[in-house]
Parts: sequence; C-alpha cells; structure tokens
Amino acid sequence: MIRPGPTLAPLAACAALLVAWEIGARLAGIDGLPPASHALAQIPAILGDPESLLHIGASLRRMVVGFALGVAAAVPIGLTMGRSRHVAAFFNPLLMVIYPVPKAALMPVIMLWLGVGDASKTLVIFLGVTLPVIYHSYQGSRAVEQKMLWSAAAMGMTAPARLVRIVLPAALPEILAGCRVGLVLALITMVTSEMIARQTGLGNILFNSLDMAQYDTVYAMIVIIGALGFVLDAAFEWLRGRLVAWAEPSHPIMVGTT
Amino acid sequence: MIAIASVTKTFDSGKGRRHLALADISLDIAAGEFVSILGPSGCGKSTLLYIVGGFIPPSTGAVLVKGERVNGPSPDRGPVFQEFALFPWKTVLGNVMYGLERRGVGRQQAQARARELIAMVHLAGYENFYPKELSGGMKQRVAIARTLAYGPSILLMDEPFGSLDAHTRTRLQNDLLDIWERDRKTVLFVTHSVEEAVFLSDRVVMMTRAPGRLKEVIAIDLPRPRSRATLLLDRRFQDYVVGIERLMDEPAQEQHR
Amino acid sequence: MRALPAPIAASLIGALPIALIVGLWQAIAMSGIAPPSLLPAPGTVFTRLVQQLGSAAYLDHVATTLIRLFAGFAIAALTGVTLGVAMTGSRWAGAVIAPLVRVLAPVPKIALYPAFILTLGFEDASKIALVVADAVFPILLATSQGTAAVEPKLAWSAQAAGASRLRCLLTIVLPAALPSVLTGCRIALVISCIVVFLAEMITSTDGLGHLLVRAARSFQSVDMFVPLITISLLGLLLNAAFNALRRRLLAGFPEAD
Repeated sequence: MIRPGPTLAPLAACAALLVAWEIGARLAGIDGLPPASHALAQIPAILGDPESLLHIGASLRRMVVGFALGVAAAVPIGLTMGRSRHVAAFFNPLLMVIYPVPKAALMPVIMLWLGVGDASKTLVIFLGVTLPVIYHSYQGSRAVEQKMLWSAAAMGMTAPARLVRIVLPAALPEILAGCRVGLVLALITMVTSEMIARQTGLGNILFNSLDMAQYDTVYAMIVIIGALGFVLDAAFEWLRGRLVAWAEPSHPIMVGTT
Repeated sequence: MIAIASVTKTFDSGKGRRHLALADISLDIAAGEFVSILGPSGCGKSTLLYIVGGFIPPSTGAVLVKGERVNGPSPDRGPVFQEFALFPWKTVLGNVMYGLERRGVGRQQAQARARELIAMVHLAGYENFYPKELSGGMKQRVAIARTLAYGPSILLMDEPFGSLDAHTRTRLQNDLLDIWERDRKTVLFVTHSVEEAVFLSDRVVMMTRAPGRLKEVIAIDLPRPRSRATLLLDRRFQDYVVGIERLMDEPAQEQHR
Repeated sequence: MRALPAPIAASLIGALPIALIVGLWQAIAMSGIAPPSLLPAPGTVFTRLVQQLGSAAYLDHVATTLIRLFAGFAIAALTGVTLGVAMTGSRWAGAVIAPLVRVLAPVPKIALYPAFILTLGFEDASKIALVVADAVFPILLATSQGTAAVEPKLAWSAQAAGASRLRCLLTIVLPAALPSVLTGCRIALVISCIVVFLAEMITSTDGLGHLLVRAARSFQSVDMFVPLITISLLGLLLNAAFNALRRRLLAGFPEAD
C-alpha cells in the first residue's frame, strides 16, 4: 500500500530513475533519447533565459487564475448539491456527461470564440478544475452529519449561515482532496492546451524545441514540468495536512487526467 | 496433540510503540479435547489461536503440533472465524468444495463430498446460493462445512457464534457438539461467554487482560453427550458458571498449568 | 413515471439536463447571438454526425482511435494489475514500486509525449504509450489498495485449506479485491478515451483528434464539433458498457459501492 513515508524513498526513486535514464540512453544511443546528464545540463540555461522565464511565468499565471476561479465556482455548487437533493439531481447527470469530454480538446472550439489569448487557455483550465472540485465538495457536503446541522438550526442559524459555518469546515478535508486533484488537472490542462494551441507557455517551448530538433532542451523541459507537478502536489499535500490536521487520513488520490 | 511452549507476542503499533499481547503462555492440549479459551476483550485469546493456526508467528516460544513445530497455516489446523470469511464470489457449494479441490480431489468426488457436508450442517438445498443471500447463522454453517471438508484434526474456532443472535447461537452450539461427537477432533474454542465455554468444553482456560497470561484452567467434569435443557437445570453446571464468573472478576492469580 | 421500471425512469430523469443543454444550445444558435460559423445549431451538428457515421472514411478514423484506445488500456490494465498485486504480495516489490509511483503520479504524463514521439515515432506506438502512461496509475493504485484492504481472514481460510501464498494471492485476494480493481479500470477507460483524443490532436496524423484539428485549420466549425461529440459519446458508451460488465462480474459481492 502506498503510504506518505519518509522523504528518503521518493528521493531514492528519483535518483534511480535518473540513473536508469542515463544508462538506458547511452546504451540505446539514438538521437531521440539524450542521456539524462545532457538534458539536466540544459535546465540552468532555460531557467536563466529571460524569454523562457516569461513563458513559464505566463503559464503559471494562467494556471493559478484558472485554478482559483475554478475552485471559487465549484465549491459553492458542490456544497449546495450535497445538501439539496434537487440541486444534486439537476447537476449530477450534467457532470457525468461532461466527465468524458477532454477539456483541453475544447481548445480549438474555445479559440474560435475567444481568440488565441490568455482567456481561452484560462477558460479551459477553469473547466478542467471545476469537475473534480464539484464532485469532492459534493461528496464531502453530503457526508456531513444531519444532526450537526439540526443542532445549528436549533441554535438559530439560517440555512446559508449553516452552509458556510458548519458544512464548509466539516467538508473541508474532502474539498481539499478535490482541490488536489484539481491542481494536478490544472497543470495537465495547462500543458496540454499549450501543446494544442501554441503561442506562449511551457507547452510551446516544449514543442518548439521538438520542431527545432533541440532534443536536450525537450527533455530538460520534461524534467522541469515533471518537477513542477511533483513540487506543486507535495506543497499542496503539506498545506492540506496543516489545514485539516484534525481529519482522519484519506486514501491516496487516484490521479486522473485532463 | 498441541504443545504451546512459552509463547509471547508483541505487536508494533506504529510510532515506535510496542504492545505486549501475550506474555509467556504455556499449555498442553490432548488429542480429542474440547478446550475453550475464555477472557475479556483484548486479552489476546484470538491472537493465541492465530499463532496456533500458524497465521501469525510468535515473538518468542513455539507451538508444537504432534511434535512438529508450527510455521505456517496447514490443512491439519482448520480455522472458523467470527466474520465467516466466506469467498463472496463462490456459491455455498463452491466454498465447501474449495479445500477438497486444493487436496487434489476430483471434481465429481469433491462435489459429492461437499453436498454431504452441506447436508450435515442442515443446509441442503442451499448449494447454489451466494453468501450474501444467507443469514449469519447459515453463513457460519457454511464456514464450518468448508473447514471440515479438508479434514483437519484440529479445529480452531474464533468466537464463531459471537455475531449471531442468542437463539441461532444455541442451535449452532448444539449442532457443533453433534458434529464433534462423530469423530472427536481436537478443538480450541475462543469465546467470552462463560456459559458457552462451560457447556461445550472439557477444559476452560481463563486468560487475564492484556498482556494476556493464563489465569486459571478449570476441568469441566460433566457427562457427554450434553443437552442444554438438562444442563441448565443441573447444579454442577450452575456452580461452574458462577465460579468462573467470580474468577473473571478477580485480579490475575499466579499461572496454573 | 411510476409505471416504468426503475432503470428506465432513472435514465429519463438523467436525460433531462442533457435535453436542457441541447435546448439551450438550440436557443442560443437560433437567437443569433453567435453566428453559425462559431456555434452551429445542434440540428446541423447531429445531421452531420449521422452523415459521417455512414461514411467509410470517417469510420476508419473512429476505428483507428478505438484500436489505440483499447491497446493502450489493455496494456495498462495488465501492467497495473500485475504491479498492484506484486506490491501487496511482496514487501520488497512494494518498497521498490511505491516510491516510484509516488514520484511519477503527479507528473503530467502529457509532458512525456514528446519523449515518446522521439523514441517511438509519430504514429500509433507513441500514442498508445501515452495512453498506457496515463491509464496505468489509477489501475495500479486501485489494485494495490484493494488487495491490501482484503480481510486477512479470507486469505487465512484459503491457506489453511491448502492454497500456497502465491495461489492465494492470485485466486483469492485478487478476486476479493475485484470491486476496487474494476473501479480503477473504469476510471482508466475514460482516461484512455481522453488521452488518445488529445494525442491525436497534438500530433495530427489520423484518428478523431486529427479530424478536429483538421476542421479547425479550415474553419469548418460543424466538422469540429462532430469528432468531439463522437469521442464523448464513445466515452459514455464505454462507461455504461463497463458498468454493465462490472455488475455481472460482481454477482456474488454484497453491494458496497
């Protein structure tokens, strides 16, 4: 079973992967797979280049904005769905239909409407984030014990106040679990949308270097994106642990995509 | 038959804490004896049973069965668990046949033998039912039939009737004794019911609360075959029950063999 | 509604919001807020969809997408289940695989796509590899968690009946974890749909994703919607088919989910 163990094991795993990459690449000897050392050597060059940093900054900005908006929209919807059967009955089938649609695949369609700027990419990220956050907020809200709410009502709390002051904190562990998935999806959707509609951003750098056969840079970007994903997830998990230290440990999330 | 020699068991409960479940248990059980292990919750009686069965290893000491050291599960020591542990995707017949198939018995023969056992536990007609369609008492009958199917010489029963209602419980106690009388297997029976222990056993082994030690071993000198109706009115039975209940309330005495 | 059997009634109620969405879509298209070049009317799109479904060339693309999808999913399922079972069965395997999974799980696998292209080419292999990379994680996690959560007494019952540890792991623990494993597979199936489509959009050679990009380049908005709706419908269909399969496979299991 996978447990949040000491940091030694993941670091060892990283090291093992890099070594395996290095050895495998040297043995294979093809242009398309440069050894790890070559790729890693490119990273300082990329991170030191102001233009690249602009791209990366733009990507991160879109991701953060899309994520924040997504959470802000999704949490109230999910919480309300959890307490009202009618709202749930309305949204549930809708969400089930949207679930298999690849959000990043909507890029060309959305670009038709909103052009090629930030708005379309942010919108796609927003869409990708809302689904898991709504789902988890809904589940968390549903699980809140009715008796807690009855006590609050008896004390004179109105329905909206109960939603904010009882349901929200009680559902917080589950909501944060959804946000974690949403964050991962935000990163994935961001990269994917930039691969599909290239103008700026990480995905753009990646495929530009692919087009220009700068293979070392390609792999360096992969490592950077991978590291970004890992760091974001780890940071969020730490934050989540601090915020809801009182909750029982949840199952490790089955990470989805797109 | 079974020699438990200075067995202790310590569990690591995470965060570096260790929990001493069993402290220096030594006990001999003769072939064909029906022995109950009685004690309060958490005294380690189930743990002792699992160690005898070979499902968990002792921390120190050993269990010898017929002179050989136990180091893993074996068809000679058949368990029956409180939670039934039936295979949910197999029918009643499938469950009971399992042990026979593992012993290499041919399909036809295995089916026939399984049907015999199912009839013996009064479940004829339920062969193609799934466990989830059965009541608790019926599930336990299937579990008993499943274990008997592979012919163990020792039965290890872990509060088998603990999750059943009182009426089903007494019926199964009677049925168990009927089955046991046929070939007098050695039985280790864990329970926290004093009445049940006295009714069923030749000897009652009492354990203290954790860390579990042997508190007292009482021989039950009542004639067999035993009938619940008769025994409930029998003075000796009542004396045993009252005496043991009194002992259970007292703090731990020195160990007895 | 009361006269209809429950599943049909449920699907009708579920269809309501979808009908509403399509209605809303129709209303927006008709109102003229958005020109048909940006938002074609649902009628136009569905007519075109039906037309395409009769065209051999379109079905060729659909087949290509489906083949990649199933190939990737099958490899991911085989790998994921094997590794998941290994993690539960062998502490050594668990110690090696778990940290690797922890490191790789939050990495956006789509970022690996260029590496797959460089090593496996622009055609099927790299797309299938991406599907495998994305689909294997939910299955692996579900299998490893599911098998680890199986009640040990089930395994003990099997081992006492004579099953070896390996046999027990494969024929008792894995089937007992089937509900969990199948949930992971269902998630992986939907992920496979999504990922294959995206891969086809990024390196546009053939398949449904390619058709969307091709239509986008020539500003054919109707032809953009058609493959998108096709893949979504496929996703829904596969999801429903999988659920039906799941119900059949889990016939004996108590309703836990």
